[in-house]
Amino acid sequence: MHEISLVQGLLRQLAELAREHQVKAISKVRVEVGPLSGIVIDSFQFGFDVLSAEQELTREALLEIVTPPIHYKCCFCGHVCLSSEGVPGSCPECSHTLLVPEGGDGLILLQVEMV
Amino acid sequence: MCEDCGCASPSHNHKVVDVNQSLLAANDALAAKNREHIEELGAVAINLISSPGSGKTTLLEKTIERLGKELRIGVIEGDIETERDAERIRAKGVPVVQLTTGGACHLDAALVHKGIHALEDQLDDKKLDLLFIENVGNLVCPATFYLGEHQRVVMISVPEGPDKPAKYPKAFIGSQVFMISKTDLLPYFDFSSEMAIKDALQLNPKLLVMSLSATTGDGFDRWLDYLRALCR
Repeated sequence: MHEISLVQGLLRQLAELAREHQVKAISKVRVEVGPLSGIVIDSFQFGFDVLSAEQELTREALLEIVTPPIHYKCCFCGHVCLSSEGVPGSCPECSHTLLVPEGGDGLILLQVEMV
Repeated sequence: MCEDCGCASPSHNHKVVDVNQSLLAANDALAAKNREHIEELGAVAINLISSPGSGKTTLLEKTIERLGKELRIGVIEGDIETERDAERIRAKGVPVVQLTTGGACHLDAALVHKGIHALEDQLDDKKLDLLFIENVGNLVCPATFYLGEHQRVVMISVPEGPDKPAKYPKAFIGSQVFMISKTDLLPYFDFSSEMAIKDALQLNPKLLVMSLSATTGDGFDRWLDYLRALCR
């Protein structure tokens, strides 16, 4: 449910960028949502669709959500591997079973296209 | 050809801007100010996160009973509606501010900013040792918002079941302490502490794990020692 608050924050950021670059419309917004960010992507998209339509600046804007894979680091040998399907059962290098996520919780406004 | 996107339109007049800024940048900047304000008061702040009903307010009541004479404690209560939690804390004789979010499922740094000012107004000498921020009962949304706290404590109670760390990873990844509450109910529930702790440590091996019962006082000394050490 906090997705709505985050969309509101995003729209404020977009309004500021539009002022800074002196544009009247935003056509595309690319956002990174990490798999461990605690964000439900459908809710975020829904919130964006509803709230972006309320103002001239973002009415035509498309939201593109990028979900990066998570890096898991082995607590034993330090090897880092990528996984987009949850924590790997064991380290591919040393077979140790304690792997912890590194990052993957990003919520980042990557790129904005303005017209 | 358009210089920005490479599209064929010669008249395509648009700008592509790489921003690379956190969606939480505004919140985090305010949270950093909260942290400064908290430290000006001389306090260490704890953000307490759990589901509704796992015993956050009861933990605070008992903590104030045991530590209230030793440390200057203040509390910021977050709830969607009502003053009920603040009334319970006020009855223990410490300064308290109730923040009602009016529907929002979490506290954010802007709300806590108001809370700290309101709490400061209640302090005669503008000094505190320990500030508890009791978040809105929810294991999901509060985990995303840094409030300016020094330590984050995530709590689950025995009746909730041991699967919470696996189901709500973000709250455990971002915390320093994992607390299991209502341990007096262990004989009546099929709760595997081992499973809960193993799943939590898998997400965050640095978590300090504690368990206690506010009803019997079992495990409470360790919690109080942890708080004393923070305030030293």
